[in-house]
Amino acid sequence: MDFITNYYFDFGVMGDEFSRVLDGFWLTVKLSIISGVLSLTWGLGLAVLRQLPGRALAPVRWLTIAYIDVFRGVPLLLVLLLLSGFLSAAQFEGVIPRELGLPTWFGETSPFWWGVMGLTLTYGAYMAEVYRAGIEAVPRGQMEAARSLGMSHGQSMRFVIVPQAVRKVIPPLLNDFIALMKDTSLVGILGALEVVQVGFDVQTEQINGSALTLGALMFLVITIPLARLVDWLIAREQRKTERGGGPSAGTPGDVEPKPAGPPATGMAGA
Amino acid sequence: MEGARTPDDATGQGVPATSGGAVLRLDGVHKRFGALHVLRGIDLEVQRGGVVCVIGPSGSGKSTLLRCINLLEPPDQGRILLEGREITGKTTADDRNYVRRRVGIVFQQFNLFPHKSALENVSLAQARVLGRKRDEAGAKAQALLTRVGLADKMDEYPERLSGGQQQRVAIARALAMDPHVMLFDEVTSALDPELIKEVLDVMRELAAEGMTMVVVTHEMGFARDVGDEVVFMDGGVVVERGPPAQVLDNPREERTKGFLGLVLER
Repeated sequence: MDFITNYYFDFGVMGDEFSRVLDGFWLTVKLSIISGVLSLTWGLGLAVLRQLPGRALAPVRWLTIAYIDVFRGVPLLLVLLLLSGFLSAAQFEGVIPRELGLPTWFGETSPFWWGVMGLTLTYGAYMAEVYRAGIEAVPRGQMEAARSLGMSHGQSMRFVIVPQAVRKVIPPLLNDFIALMKDTSLVGILGALEVVQVGFDVQTEQINGSALTLGALMFLVITIPLARLVDWLIAREQRKTERGGGPSAGTPGDVEPKPAGPPATGMAGA
Repeated sequence: MEGARTPDDATGQGVPATSGGAVLRLDGVHKRFGALHVLRGIDLEVQRGGVVCVIGPSGSGKSTLLRCINLLEPPDQGRILLEGREITGKTTADDRNYVRRRVGIVFQQFNLFPHKSALENVSLAQARVLGRKRDEAGAKAQALLTRVGLADKMDEYPERLSGGQQQRVAIARALAMDPHVMLFDEVTSALDPELIKEVLDVMRELAAEGMTMVVVTHEMGFARDVGDEVVFMDGGVVVERGPPAQVLDNPREERTKGFLGLVLER
């Protein structure tokens, strides 16, 4: 019994290694935020490409769908390995410039940036599907109303459809962000000293898992509040829809009209 | 309607302003949805300042007709001329936008933008499509919302407005583009009875001020008072047309009589 507690909860080990683990966690956070922001953007781009109208643009839609299918369908670890291997080999052969193959932008290591790329490629595909669900949940009449006012497809998407779609999918996007944050641990394989890799190094050195436990606790400090936030957002949306309002298209008769002042007094006095 | 239709009429856009008066002309318009043949050769002519009311049972193709006119559903066959210019055939995105800037439409379900206030609903397309400055678009939106009796609701979001108020915002939104023709697609059908009048009053004033209108409606009183012509559609064809008094009071066709009997009995 003592062995179990000592293996997971050796406060001595936790104390000695705290700053090392915290450094690792800081790298995890940076990796998560940069990849998260890039994935959100790339995913939205993919979702919009997928919705382009007309026959002429069908190839663009197919390519987008193929991309999304592929990156949702293969393991992130495999993407990371293929990508990092290719980039380092390609710059070695002079096929791509060195600063692209072995990027060290903003003082971060190449494994860090390979991780950002791999996470963005994969999570962009996941998030594209979330955005798509949001776009498809916006009533058809919204696009028609926008187009009937002379707005182009692009303008209608930008000013009418996407703003409504994004609001609907903030909770699932946050869920994907939580998943992304946990998946940054795979970047350790490439040599990035993120929190899991650091914890694993300590475990190997000291035959003790407490540094990994500490890493787990650090994850939970972020992921549990985020999960609660998601629940809260969903519950708030639920209340709205139950009340009947909801930010969906104008639904007649379901809103208690406030005693509207004098009814239409016609169009006098323009 | 001061302020409306200024810019384009001034330049004329190469279109005779009143070529025999027909702003809108449809010749043998057909529309199919797969096997469903919804419009089976519709002819229609709307004079400048004229109000044509289209009546008929549901499923007769009335809404589709309006959606064909502003190319939300391009016709499969036949011609539509807007101010003498053919807008059917092979159309480009520019052609469609040309049409939609001149033809306003108001929908049964309002379709207001729920994430924008009443004022923003009315000014968005002005700024983005017509390139109006923010102040200019805002001022125009304020004037139009005041005209439809919503001076005190400018900053409200659609979900805070009653159906009748939402529909009046939708009318103002369409008018903001200075349309030459307004299409109304059963705009009172989704409204509670006590809210219908406020919308119809706005439409009456619009007609009185000389707006060219095509109104699909079940409001026979409105068609009688405001319409210059009443068109009865059934099964995708025009069964009967003429002055309101004639079509509504002395219909010649059996189908018209049957429909009016059902409607007026209520």
